[in-house]
Amino acid sequence: MKRKKMMGMLLTAAMVTGSMASAFTCMAADEKPYDGVNLSIMIENGTDESSYQPILDLIKEKMGITVEVEFKPAGSEGTNLIKTRLLSGNMTDLMIYNVGSLLSALNPQDYFIDMAGTDLAATFDDSFTQAASFEGGLYAVPAGSASGGGVMYNMDIYEKYGLEVPKTWDEFIANLDVIKEAGEVTPLIGTFADAWTAQVPFLADNYQVMHNDPAFAEGFTSGEKKFATSEAAFRSWEKLEATQPYYNEDYMATTYDMGCDMLANGEGAHYIMTCGILQNIYTLYGEDVVNRIGVFPVPGDTEEETGLTVWTSGGLYGNKNSENVDAVKAVMEFWTSDEALDVLVENSRPSGPFHNGYKLPDTVFKGVKDQMVYFEAGKTAPALEFLTPVKGANCDAICTELVTGQTTAEEAAKAYDEDCLKMAVQLGLDWK
Amino acid sequence: MKKNKRFRLLGDIIGMAAAFLIFVVPFIFILSNSLKDRREANLLQLALPETFVWKNYSEVFTANNYILLTAFKNSILLTVFSVGGLIIVCSMAGYILQRRKDGLTKAANFVTMMGLMVPPAILPTIWITQGLHIDGTMFSMVMIEIALQIPFDIMLYRGFVGTIPIELEEAGYIDGCERLGMFCKIIFPLLKPVTATVIILNAVSVFNDFTNPLYFFPGRKNATVQLTLYNFMGQYQSSYNLLFADVIIITIPMLILFIIFNKRIVDGMVAGSVKG
Amino acid sequence: MNRKRIYPAWFLLPAMSVFLVFFIIPMAVSFFFSMTVWDFSGFTFCGLDNFALFFSERSLSHSVVNTMIYAIGTSGLKVILAFFIAVFLTSGIRTKNLIRSIVFFPNLVSTVAVGMAFKALMHPTKGLFNQIIAFFGGHGPDWLGNVDMALYSVILTDVWKGVSVATVIYIAGIVSIDKNYYEAAAIDGANGWQKLKNITIPLCRPAMNSVIILSFIGGLRSFDLIWSMTGGGPGFASDVLASVVYKQYAAGFYGLSTAGNVIMLILIGLLAFPLQKFLLSKEVE
Repeated sequence: MKRKKMMGMLLTAAMVTGSMASAFTCMAADEKPYDGVNLSIMIENGTDESSYQPILDLIKEKMGITVEVEFKPAGSEGTNLIKTRLLSGNMTDLMIYNVGSLLSALNPQDYFIDMAGTDLAATFDDSFTQAASFEGGLYAVPAGSASGGGVMYNMDIYEKYGLEVPKTWDEFIANLDVIKEAGEVTPLIGTFADAWTAQVPFLADNYQVMHNDPAFAEGFTSGEKKFATSEAAFRSWEKLEATQPYYNEDYMATTYDMGCDMLANGEGAHYIMTCGILQNIYTLYGEDVVNRIGVFPVPGDTEEETGLTVWTSGGLYGNKNSENVDAVKAVMEFWTSDEALDVLVENSRPSGPFHNGYKLPDTVFKGVKDQMVYFEAGKTAPALEFLTPVKGANCDAICTELVTGQTTAEEAAKAYDEDCLKMAVQLGLDWK
Repeated sequence: MKKNKRFRLLGDIIGMAAAFLIFVVPFIFILSNSLKDRREANLLQLALPETFVWKNYSEVFTANNYILLTAFKNSILLTVFSVGGLIIVCSMAGYILQRRKDGLTKAANFVTMMGLMVPPAILPTIWITQGLHIDGTMFSMVMIEIALQIPFDIMLYRGFVGTIPIELEEAGYIDGCERLGMFCKIIFPLLKPVTATVIILNAVSVFNDFTNPLYFFPGRKNATVQLTLYNFMGQYQSSYNLLFADVIIITIPMLILFIIFNKRIVDGMVAGSVKG
Repeated sequence: MNRKRIYPAWFLLPAMSVFLVFFIIPMAVSFFFSMTVWDFSGFTFCGLDNFALFFSERSLSHSVVNTMIYAIGTSGLKVILAFFIAVFLTSGIRTKNLIRSIVFFPNLVSTVAVGMAFKALMHPTKGLFNQIIAFFGGHGPDWLGNVDMALYSVILTDVWKGVSVATVIYIAGIVSIDKNYYEAAAIDGANGWQKLKNITIPLCRPAMNSVIILSFIGGLRSFDLIWSMTGGGPGFASDVLASVVYKQYAAGFYGLSTAGNVIMLILIGLLAFPLQKFLLSKEVE
């Protein structure tokens, strides 16, 4: 008897707490629709924490979603890991990854949420929409800002040697010669221990290519135009070859980070890189140092041909096979909201304009202001990998071969054409 | 005789000096740089740190939400299961392959010999594990590690069994021992030296395996210690101090194992691989 | 007595079934996929196109040569160096156990970690090696950055890491030689070199064969160290078959990569099996 009573009391108590709990959930649901949801996101190893963690914290606070970060290695190993995990069906819920040619190699329609046609999608500019689209679907939202690629230069060195910002390729070479002859600092920083950096000078010359041959990207995709035979495109290889004499002696052992150090410390005058480097230098050396780093595009042969090549922001992808697709979509939407971007620019300075027209704060680095001139003048072009799905897998190795003098510009251009052919075959393009 | 002694002393001195210079100095380099701050470590000097930055080690441990602890758990489980499994299956197989000579064992010998040479096919392996619905599990990872080590271990066991006098088994057979019982009671204890060799060699290769877990064992909860090296090898931040601190930490378990089994490594080899 | 009954075949079953499912079947399947353009969602049969493409790849013939250099270089050095280290360590010096432990130690560290450490040591300007050379007034080479040198620098590192296993095999071979031979030779007045040449070398022949085969095959398949030290570079200068295969795989060319895998398999078959036959025939003599 006693036991029964006890039981009844317990049951009542349970019911009360139960209903209270559900009432509580109801209340919370109004504010935090996804409270308690756990998601995972894959981010490249070594990505500056300030470029994502503030948003993740805000998502936790505002939406109640806990997002656990998982890292992937850089470069082709990272790409491979993603492919393997997509293939085996245990991909993270979210992922920050390149858009452009790398996207098309993933068969995105099978794995990622298609954002095409949503109100959100309408807010992105054309360059992002094109780069994140594949066969009519839009598979990512911008994870950050666009970023120009070009020549980062140390302004103190320029002052010391009385140099002017070059407007043509010949002027650039002349500047390199002045520094080389003085023999005090490295004219051009090479960081080929991180192989991917070897291709940046080549890729960052795309404005010139698209300016002189506006149909190149399209012709390249269809297989009609080649690097070895298109005059404008071949010029990029010649320019890369011309940089040979100016690198630091230990360029094969120098990493990207060491390159940042060299540029910031004034041990090297120029470094051809994307503007993302500015945030890195800012984190390591602070405001004063980073604002002594200026930026100009890889110059064309005439002033007219000089314009900025732009890297589209990385994309935030949502896994369409996630158990919490709605939460994933909500995160993607939130990520590009003004609220999120406000927090983002507070913690991590953007390296270029955002793809949804978000107004940049005045605190942006000197180098970013330098490149905004080209954005405002409309003298920009996306890097080739955002205009065509075809990008050779061995681009960095082919560039390294050329820079180390193992090949000539002609051989490198041909080798790259062959390398791209393999990608075209894999993508099912008819190149023969 | 005196001259001989002096010779030996000279040998000792030269041997130690050479071993120290060639094999110890690189480790001093790693250890010393693991205790420097980032900028000093990136100078890559052998010199002692200006200040000892012990917190590199705690930083490695706390990095990425204590992933190193998860990694240690996974790596140790993976190593224990794989090595345990290998000892059981390979001692049995090696025993039979040495003793029995017929078409079946010939084929088995050929297949394992081939496995010693041929590189594994990664993608098709994933394809198989998916088909069996065991992809990305500890079980499949253990099976794959076992499959990769089987040829070498069978070779070791087969060689060692050759040194065991056959009379022992005949006596056991006549006594009416069950075949499995005879193996467990008579043969397996005699294989102790080679088992020690198998333990250390396999533990080292499984624990230090980097590529296979990367493909077959994905995901944060499945991280292994070698994978944590990636955390410090990112595209944008190479921090030699943390990298080397991680190297030191993840080498310690193998060092302990080595101290335990050091003397036995040769014993197992004496007959093992030599007689092939 | 009935050999078959005392040695039951089912003892082979556990090992063979694991090996079959997780090694042999994937390998067999790879022959099929090597003739496809393969990605996640499906495959298109393309006959021998992948093989043709693979052979037209400029870096391939180069990588085959590099693979041979690598395998011969590492195994050759290991066979010779490990032999002398083993003889030295069995010669009765007092510190032999300590030295053996020291030599074995690199084997405990993961290949990737060793690769990264040596990459730092081989840094052309700041690295320890070149600082030592500079101390003696020389100018050290760019170990990994020099096109003609990169592969050999990796070979040296491989030998540094791997010589211990070869040494242990040799030691095992040498200590199992009957001491009576040496005593008899000593009575005949043989000197150290004669003993080495006439007793030690011939009698540890099986150990030597194991070392040759294991390190040669290891060399042909080697990947981790090259990948962590040079990534196949500068350019393609230190690419070997395994890294070329991996690069195609990383690029998403699964069919092409599998074709490379098959080529590697055939190459190993053409080299390693005859080598082993040859060594075994020598052993019998």
